[in-house]
Amino acid sequence: MPRMILTGSIRQHAGGHAAVAVGGETVRAAIAALEEAHPALRGWVVDERGALRRHVKLFHRGASVSLDAAVGPEEEVHVVAAISGG
Amino acid sequence: MTELLVGTRKGLVVLRGRRGGTFEMAARTFAGEVVEFATRDPRTGRYFAGVTHGQFGPHLFYADDPAGKWEQAEGPAFPPGAGAAVERIWAVQPGAGEDELWCGVAPAALFHSLDGGRSWSLVRALWDVPERVHWEGGAGGLCLHSICPWPADPNRLAVGISSAGVWLTDDGGKSWRRSVKGLVPRYLPEEARKDTHAYCVHNMHRAAGQPTTLYMQFHGGVYRSDDAGASWIDIGTDRGLPSDFGFPLAIDPSDPDRAFVIPLAADADRVTPGGRVCVYETRDRGATWNALANGLPQTQAYLTVLRQAFCRDSDTPLGLYFGAQSGEVFGSADGGASWSTVAARLPPVLSLRCG
Repeated sequence: MPRMILTGSIRQHAGGHAAVAVGGETVRAAIAALEEAHPALRGWVVDERGALRRHVKLFHRGASVSLDAAVGPEEEVHVVAAISGG
Repeated sequence: MTELLVGTRKGLVVLRGRRGGTFEMAARTFAGEVVEFATRDPRTGRYFAGVTHGQFGPHLFYADDPAGKWEQAEGPAFPPGAGAAVERIWAVQPGAGEDELWCGVAPAALFHSLDGGRSWSLVRALWDVPERVHWEGGAGGLCLHSICPWPADPNRLAVGISSAGVWLTDDGGKSWRRSVKGLVPRYLPEEARKDTHAYCVHNMHRAAGQPTTLYMQFHGGVYRSDDAGASWIDIGTDRGLPSDFGFPLAIDPSDPDRAFVIPLAADADRVTPGGRVCVYETRDRGATWNALANGLPQTQAYLTVLRQAFCRDSDTPLGLYFGAQSGEVFGSADGGASWSTVAARLPPVLSLRCG
């Protein structure tokens, strides 16, 4: 199963877990599975339209990726707060 | 003991103190996050905070103890097909019905809760009004910021939208009508006013004991309605105000003839006029306005007081409190006759409500 690696500021909404094993073959599906497992995360990584929050970045295999990127069963997707804001 | 809920750009600050005395910081929570609005439902004692995380978006939380654990509400969030996402939570307002609350957001929309604020649903009829395609936002975005329930009648509600005017319902939100009669959008060329949708309401409140009376701070203009919002009367021109531009507004809950505004110099210069901080009071429904400045900075004080950063309590004499972008909170325990600095050096103040 892919693993979602969560940045510190949203771990509290995933039961304090830094990493969550999820299903899905794309990043979008993996996030949906993450929300299913931890409903308190709904609306945090993607908004209610399913769009990635503007200041959130997703990294996979060392590169920034979109929600449509494919993700393998043993791979990790990092959810990172962009270096923006103030 | 008075409690003040101060929404700031860096967290929620809870101040507690004796009226007219010193206040202490009882709690600071949501550290580092933007708390756009915080309030307490006096019926249940439950606290609400609209919090926008810098990266992870806006969310609504509730708690029974503001220094304790906050729970995340289910919503407000647009349903599938609405084609929108909540950008900012502007207001949470207890409704007339038991366990009923309303929430205003950007993009301009109204949400409704019937379970004490735990879960929220979009008021679809207002979202679907045909005029929406013409709506535009002001500097603060297209937002629904003022919610005025009718005491003891859940069917009647008035909301204020920047910049789309006043909207009224008499059937609990199933149908809506715009009500801008009497409002003059002087910020538009005269020939463009007749057919405009751009009515920039800045703030609107209903008089507690006389629900047909509402007051409004407009984008250039102060108005009163004597007919539940059906029409509006200019009470800002040549009546003693240094400017008719501003955002904050409060009404004495025990006297519908008495209201307060905090004018700013102009739309192009959103600071207290002349470097003097003054609250202006009317005791005659806006026929005349008088400055209340005793104890407020009167030299080189160019403060910005935002839309939701002014509140009153329900005591006698009336308590009044406002916060500034410069991080100060001022208070009066005698209806504005004298003021003191309640807090200073806070992060920029976005909202202020009595707990």
